[in-house]
Amino acid sequence: MTNVRTNNSFKVIVNGEQRGGFCEDCGTQVKKGFYMDGERKRVHMICPACGGMGKLIVRLYSIQAPPSPQDTSFKSLWKFIKDTWFCSFLSTYHRQRVEYATNHRETTMLGKYRTGKPSPQTIFEAIKEIIKLRIDRR
Amino acid sequence: MAQTQTWTDTGIAELILLLREEAATGMESIVCLEMATVTTAVVGSTFADPADTAVHHTDSGLLLAAIDTVGTATVNTTNDTITFDHVFTASATKNVSGIHVCNNDDDVTFIECGFNAVLAMENSDTLTIDGQSTIDQA
Repeated sequence: MTNVRTNNSFKVIVNGEQRGGFCEDCGTQVKKGFYMDGERKRVHMICPACGGMGKLIVRLYSIQAPPSPQDTSFKSLWKFIKDTWFCSFLSTYHRQRVEYATNHRETTMLGKYRTGKPSPQTIFEAIKEIIKLRIDRR
Repeated sequence: MAQTQTWTDTGIAELILLLREEAATGMESIVCLEMATVTTAVVGSTFADPADTAVHHTDSGLLLAAIDTVGTATVNTTNDTITFDHVFTASATKNVSGIHVCNNDDDVTFIECGFNAVLAMENSDTLTIDGQSTIDQA
């Protein structure tokens, strides 16, 4: 195999989580709190009374573009095409999920639409989830 | 539209200045983008300047602020990743379409992120950002 380029890059992943400002369990207003996650100092909003969190409205999902093909063999190009299709369907699913969850914050819905988990792992799963979401939105 | 995130051209230029020990500052601030439609992160961002108040929130708890925690982590090689966590608390009903991560003197945007969909934030809602950028040698 002949490498036409390397894949060195600046990769960015940003995840977000929108929650209500009052504890889901006791109704107290949540406050900012710091905690250690291994060696990483993290921040979250936590209830000072019971340690609960605000009601989850939606969790965002960071989608990474597929890596570019390393050569012009059919196998590499086909893999890139499949990865691109998957990325496209996955993007559609998460866009529609986030729109649905943020626009229906008081509606009871399946947890996966708010959390984004489990996320589809294949093209077929992504298409299936898009269709299911469209049915559930009705 | 997928959630998109990238380093901007101005951010890379600032990083190069830091490496050359010239006048430049590190990752320090974060601000929410205020657009009614989904935005796509681009390297040559036309609204990368944090002083551009037409696209950045200037009030309601979503304005330019010091990032709560900035740290270092290991993904592929030791300390190849910068991490940043922040919590915004909205004090009014506002739309948030993404974020900008800026430098200490707030004149350069390092990272631009456009969310999956526009988040409709209501008073007291919280938005927790969990981000990381890796210099990927893969």
